[in-house]
Amino acid sequence: MKETTDFLYPFIEGDETDATALLVDLAQSAEEKWAVSTELKVVTLARVEEQLRTIAALMAERFAAGGRLFAFGNGGSATDADGVAQLYTRPPSGRALPARSLVEDRAVITALGNDVGYDKIFSRQLIAHARAGDMAIGYSTSGNSENLLVAFAEARKRGLLTIGFAGIDGGRMGVDPNVEHCMIVLSQSVHRVQETQASATHVLWSYVQEALAARN
Amino acid sequence: MTEIAAVAEDLGRASLALARRFNAGATMWCTSPSWPFHASHVAVEFVHPVIVGKRALAAVTVPIGADVVATLRANVRPGDIVVALADSDDPQVVDAMRRGEAWGVETLWIGAGGERPRSGSADHVIWLDTDDPLEASECFVRIYHLLWELTHVVFEHPGLLKDDPNGVVCTEEVCITCSDEGRLTEVVSVAGDEAVVKALGIEERIDISLIDPPAPGDLVLVHAGFAIR
Repeated sequence: MKETTDFLYPFIEGDETDATALLVDLAQSAEEKWAVSTELKVVTLARVEEQLRTIAALMAERFAAGGRLFAFGNGGSATDADGVAQLYTRPPSGRALPARSLVEDRAVITALGNDVGYDKIFSRQLIAHARAGDMAIGYSTSGNSENLLVAFAEARKRGLLTIGFAGIDGGRMGVDPNVEHCMIVLSQSVHRVQETQASATHVLWSYVQEALAARN
Repeated sequence: MTEIAAVAEDLGRASLALARRFNAGATMWCTSPSWPFHASHVAVEFVHPVIVGKRALAAVTVPIGADVVATLRANVRPGDIVVALADSDDPQVVDAMRRGEAWGVETLWIGAGGERPRSGSADHVIWLDTDDPLEASECFVRIYHLLWELTHVVFEHPGLLKDDPNGVVCTEEVCITCSDEGRLTEVVSVAGDEAVVKALGIEERIDISLIDPPAPGDLVLVHAGFAIR
């Protein structure tokens, strides 16, 4: 951003007073970034459609058999996990399904982080709650979050279906055998990765709903 | 997908206003009663930048399930920012936004579909043209990412951070900016024909004999020491 726009503003010393040119530039920048985000979404969803269909079919089977979905992530990805729990349990349409975010309970998170270690804040919760037939979905933009990899290992050991949403080049999640299905958004921008992950989350959810409806 | 063109200018103006407020020491309060995860995402975005070297900005989420107005009333300081992601009929957000003037905060309302908030409901409104709740949710993520990115672009223009047209504060007995209409204040307590009201963080005792008795929390217009509406 800075490199490409500096020439427009010869007021680096702080004596710039008219915001008109900046406002034009901000609006233009917003439009450009929006277009990049839309392009990444379209390209990614086309590339991963079959993968999302496959995951959705497996999830529908598990939901139908009483399985539950556990979602987790750090930072902005933690809010994605919260969003997943809300979407599955209180959907705008379709069936409500059992899902929980492992970042929602601050007492548990801080207890585990303080007493056991931040790398185990999700895996310890899976030990307490998860059983074979459940599902684990973890969000990371880098694909390298240690506590996700520890959680996926625990989830696999317990017979959960493991799903990763990663970005950049997939990072460690992209090559970890404990992440059975890793959906990767190929972009170097954390923001653009999260935006397409949000879209893919919605597509996956709609495929799960379709698969469940098709069973009846 | 919803097009950005219709809101790009609104987004730019909101980013400029946010940067100016942050530069003057604002805390940004984020709330989304219907989609609390979005409010949390906005806050973490500003506090913990994804790009190393960008300054951390004071943003915080109104706790999930908390009374939005009560939380903000107790905590906001004049010059702060309140950002809401909500439908235009969200009762808690409607109530919080209409108090923005009395609290002295910059308000930004982000939403999609249905009715747009009525004109003047917030200092900045970014409203997306979709009735699909999932598409709206995806757009919200893009909007607050852009809000963060553009706010930091504004920081690269220090000369533009000082000129805040909304920074007018009434300090004189007769205020030239509001003498015709009065100032919006929030009632703190009522005793007979008098009430203590608060505006821009400052309490004052006023005469309420000209209006129906207000209750604590009501908004009243004050002119020359009298509540006039």
